[in-house]
Amino acid sequence: MATSTVSSIPLSLSDRLTAGIIALLIGGFLVFGAGLANSAVLHDTAHDTRHSYGFPCH
Amino acid sequence: MIVRTLLAAIVAGLIAGVFMTGAQELRVVPLILHAEEFEGEAPAAGEQPAAQPGTVDPAAASHDQHSSLKAVSPIGTLLDALSPITPAYAHEGEHEEGGIMFGMSRFSGTLIANLVTGSGFALLLAGVSLVIGYPITLRNGALWGACGWLAVHMLPAIGLPPELPGFPAAELGDRQVWWLATVALSAVGLYLLVLREEIVAKIIGLVLIAAPHVYGAPQPSDISSNVPAVLGAEFAVAALATTLAFWIVLGVVSGFINDRFAKA
Repeated sequence: MATSTVSSIPLSLSDRLTAGIIALLIGGFLVFGAGLANSAVLHDTAHDTRHSYGFPCH
Repeated sequence: MIVRTLLAAIVAGLIAGVFMTGAQELRVVPLILHAEEFEGEAPAAGEQPAAQPGTVDPAAASHDQHSSLKAVSPIGTLLDALSPITPAYAHEGEHEEGGIMFGMSRFSGTLIANLVTGSGFALLLAGVSLVIGYPITLRNGALWGACGWLAVHMLPAIGLPPELPGFPAAELGDRQVWWLATVALSAVGLYLLVLREEIVAKIIGLVLIAAPHVYGAPQPSDISSNVPAVLGAEFAVAALATTLAFWIVLGVVSGFINDRFAKA
């Protein structure tokens, strides 16, 4: 699918998928920690951010 | 090469996070502070939604920042167990600066949270782009950003509008699960709708986008609140507008960095 556009990313298919999955995992971890994690410290630190982004909060 | 791609996304996320902090301070944070004045006034009536009765002592929650140590649903407990970050570990957890999380000012906390969130969303956007094989470029960056905003903010906001402190809301764990499911379904639905040629894929995309709203978001049983409705309306619009700006900055900067540096 869409192989013509893939060529502008200078990665082989397996490298591209590896990078993509790593990015998804790290990104998910960061967003979870800042936005959803049920920890008081994280909640209070990120409080205004959670509200601003519309994360379910409280 | 992989590291370089990831770094490009993180840099874009940090830039967008700084931008977001500025945008928030202009409009969104003042509304949050305003709402908290009402929230503190009569805790008995509006402080906690009826779905979580008696699990938190309103007086124990600090006046301007509430602790999340409250009703924990089974799903919340599960999320908590899956999370590598616990209160005990928070100091050395995801933030390098974790040791001063308690001592930081409210603004610093918001700034750091925005940087982390910005990097996270940037990595998610880059990850999606890499996995499906459509690069983010300067030309299409704004569209990437707009789709990210639709999937993460606008479409979930149909069921769970951005809420102010003190607003009534259903059980936290239920809302988080609905929110996550809606974000995931919206993202897949947008991919099918926007990037796939087949008419069947587009129809399935629309169905996926509509499905969580047909199912329905968790709603509070008691919708009374001390916070004036006008504030809530202003806040919902302000929150969606600032996140739209955030995502467009994120997409454009990601595209710019990809074009300039990641490709070389």
